[in-house]
Amino acid sequence: MVSRAAVYEIHSIEQLLKLTALVASVISILILLWYLVRRPPLGRLTKVMLLFGLGVMPLGVALTGNIAGFEYTLKRPFCGSCHVMLPYTEDAADPASNSLAAIHSRNHAFGEESCYNCHADYQLFGAMTTKVNGLKHLFYYITEYANTGPYGEGGKPIHMYKSFSNGMCTRCHSTTAPSWLAREDHAGMLDDIRKGDAKCIDCHSGEKIHPRAFAHGGSGRPPVAAAAQAGQKEAHE
Amino acid sequence: MISRLTIRRLVLVSTITTLVSLGLMVMGIVFPKPILLVLAMSLGQLFGTLSLALYLLAIVLDLQGVGEHEDLRPHIGLGGEGGGEPK
Repeated sequence: MVSRAAVYEIHSIEQLLKLTALVASVISILILLWYLVRRPPLGRLTKVMLLFGLGVMPLGVALTGNIAGFEYTLKRPFCGSCHVMLPYTEDAADPASNSLAAIHSRNHAFGEESCYNCHADYQLFGAMTTKVNGLKHLFYYITEYANTGPYGEGGKPIHMYKSFSNGMCTRCHSTTAPSWLAREDHAGMLDDIRKGDAKCIDCHSGEKIHPRAFAHGGSGRPPVAAAAQAGQKEAHE
Repeated sequence: MISRLTIRRLVLVSTITTLVSLGLMVMGIVFPKPILLVLAMSLGQLFGTLSLALYLLAIVLDLQGVGEHEDLRPHIGLGGEGGGEPK
């Protein structure tokens, strides 16, 4: 016997859920096709088979598919699937970039979910409001940005719905950490930062976070020397 | 008037709606693009829920014995095999 290497290896819960959903959907489709082709009388066996094909298996597909889908919506490639996001996601994934988005994306705590980790609402219903905003994004994308060039240069510059709150940064960058307080400007504005009167993004501004974004004066295109230099300067500071 | 034919039609519609629903959900899983994911999680599940409701309705009607007298038809030369649909 010749042993075969696994064709499909599972590396994450998301992949396992997807595979489960696909297997359940295949079973369901086979049962339904059997019924459509054979058209057996509605006896007990047929009813039980159809209950699996119409109820149990599709419910399994919906459940596992939903979870896998939601998991995937947290990932950067999903954000980048709308072309207007490419200036943001390509830069974040660029190992040579020194923008704040790229630096955070290289951190394992953020990784592939860096967009979501920095931009998701952080409240009881934060995940829900973030997904509702995602639906708004999709609507605007279809109605206003669908045909706007490879990087969305033909569309209006993209802005956030609301100002970036300090809470998004202080979730990780605690205002009590000695290394953070060691910075004079941090220590000097501590109360204002905690109250939200001074914004983190007033100093760590948009062009340092997403240098290729049109809204921050970027060209949208892949690595521009000036953006990289600005990023390096930020990193050294 | 609800007959056995109605019940079989309900099951048939339910089956086809489930296939559409599964198609949408599988598309969302295999090609996780925003529009397909939204379709899978909205229309896909709406169709899936609707089809399950139709099937359960068909089963309830069947258990209540709706159109049971039609089962006699095959025996008197008016219906197909298995006591199914009248022609």
